[in-house]
Amino acid sequence: MAEGPTPMERFIQGILPENPVYRQLLGLCPTLAVTNGMQAALTMAGAVMFVLFCANVIISLIRNLLQPHLRIVIFTLTIATFVTIADRFLAAYLYQMSKALGPYIPLIIVNCIIIGRCEICASRQSVFTAGADAIGQSLGFGLALGSIAAVREIMGTGMLFGFRVLPTAWPDWGIMVLPPGAFLTFGLLLGIVNWISIRKSMKS
Amino acid sequence: MGAENSEKSAGSSRLKQNYLVQAWLVLLLAVCFGSALAAVQMTLGPTIEANKLNETLEKVPELVYGQETAAQLQNTQQITIAPRQIEVKTPVKTTYYSVYDTAKEGKRSGWVVKAKGQGYADKIELLVGLDAGAEKITGLFILDQKETPGLGNKIIETKWRGQFIGKSTLQPLRVTKSGAKAPEEIDSVSGATISSDSVCSIVNITLGDLKDKLK
Amino acid sequence: MNYLIDIVLIAMGAALINNFVLYYFVGICPFIGVSRRVEMAVGMGFAVTFVISIAALLSWAITTFVLMPGAWISTTVGGFFMAPEAAAKIDLTILCYIVYIFAIASSVQFVEMYVRKFYPPLYKSFGVFLPLITTNCAILFACLTIMSNVVGVDNPADAWDLGRSMTLAVFGGIGFTIAIVIMAGIREELMLCDIPKPFQGAAITLIVAGILAMSFMGFTGVDKGLRKAITSVAAPQVASADLPKPSETWNK
Repeated sequence: MAEGPTPMERFIQGILPENPVYRQLLGLCPTLAVTNGMQAALTMAGAVMFVLFCANVIISLIRNLLQPHLRIVIFTLTIATFVTIADRFLAAYLYQMSKALGPYIPLIIVNCIIIGRCEICASRQSVFTAGADAIGQSLGFGLALGSIAAVREIMGTGMLFGFRVLPTAWPDWGIMVLPPGAFLTFGLLLGIVNWISIRKSMKS
Repeated sequence: MGAENSEKSAGSSRLKQNYLVQAWLVLLLAVCFGSALAAVQMTLGPTIEANKLNETLEKVPELVYGQETAAQLQNTQQITIAPRQIEVKTPVKTTYYSVYDTAKEGKRSGWVVKAKGQGYADKIELLVGLDAGAEKITGLFILDQKETPGLGNKIIETKWRGQFIGKSTLQPLRVTKSGAKAPEEIDSVSGATISSDSVCSIVNITLGDLKDKLK
Repeated sequence: MNYLIDIVLIAMGAALINNFVLYYFVGICPFIGVSRRVEMAVGMGFAVTFVISIAALLSWAITTFVLMPGAWISTTVGGFFMAPEAAAKIDLTILCYIVYIFAIASSVQFVEMYVRKFYPPLYKSFGVFLPLITTNCAILFACLTIMSNVVGVDNPADAWDLGRSMTLAVFGGIGFTIAIVIMAGIREELMLCDIPKPFQGAAITLIVAGILAMSFMGFTGVDKGLRKAITSVAAPQVASADLPKPSETWNK
């Protein structure tokens, strides 16, 4: 008897149906903070993918040794270690990006997505499933960050990835790259996603 | 009674055993992760330190010699840069400045000073290039700023910063909105008077503090 | 006097100008999740402020006395194994994230025990929030800001002491409380409004937070003006070139 969803199911679920940002509303701090440019958003998504994958795999390997009341300590220790490694790696090889992302990379430690996945999936299922779950959820996270960053960067600076996509006549909406723009963009996109899912559930 | 007592002691020793057994995993993981992090620190530490230094060092030739000359000199590697700390005591507070003494073939060609101050939105960090006698500004570079995008942000543009090149350090600089005419005037960024003024006042305070010490 | 000016400006900055929630985006999860009623919001705000203060104290102490290169404990212990000059260079800051998160978890445990023992009715009303505070970004963010001002400065004399660090922590928590209580007040009113179904819940909260963030943007530049005003009163011999002419400041 299979224990829980298969790897493929975990992978697909993480991208849209159980999207960590739009459906589960987890990990909102980096979602709002680093999405003022596509490069920063995708770097953050990459860092989260690294940490989530490594943490899930390690926790899954030792899942039979976990004691109920010490498991949070072990999760936290594992996640903090991999976040430190990711942070040092970025500081060494992508120094400007590391400065731009600033304190938000260490804040991955308290990102609810990672502790949540460790608790729900990695501590109960095999390594392969845990790995697939990690990649699915991080792709979903990247998709969410990318969508918000695209809107903010195009409307705020007329550029995407540093390339001009809107004509120079566009008056750059500076507010979009400032904090209020983050809240407003995310709120509106969340409303749109909710509307789409309500219509889908009405049709079926 | 005796049976109860022995049961209790067996139970408590099992409890103690349990705690030890549980803690071993945490300790083992702590040791493994600790060594992994030590390895990461040893391999990546020097690269990160170099990144931090180079951020400033690679701007120094351009600020002292100007862009074209600096590019030529880089290839022949005749420049030496010596970082120093200068302490300035005023009645209000003590400030420490990072100063880069730049020399070509042993003769001093100029200075670069790292200065920090409050801008409109947050702190502004900049590098000022000076000639050997600290009498003229030879360059300005904004290292770090968080001014309003599209408005105060424009202080990083080469054209606006270029106004500072050639200015004398004998008089404090002033920002004007109506087109700079006098030698100590700087044109403000349109719509960002406070950001422009902050840069000027950081430069003025720095030069006021250090002019006599840079000999 | 200069120290006092610094403290006042750090406090204002952390609470209003660079508000933890509305400018730095930390502490968003409780901001959206717990801001439905004003009493719950006030309780959450005070709990976070309490935990942030203790966590900041612990992390400043550990950073200054154990983790920094040249810290007292690492130099002393290292002195048993190697030469004193080499021991002074031991840099344990790679462990800082792990140490901070465990300091925060311990602070939360401590606060929970303290509240449960001495204020049982208080514990009954908001004791359920306390374990959630461990994953509150705001606390780790305060510890990280303090670390970057202690370890990340060019010159050791510029490093923050305990007073500045605690000011940042306490007033950051107060700023969080201000933001969450305002949001709770607005949401209580929103419950009587006719919100379209897709926007009910988190989406409308975020849009309202965006407008709230816009209003807090009005505080930008206040600390710069305040610093100039206080310094010119305290030390009138500041060079006149530093003070902008009135027409230039007000015309932004």
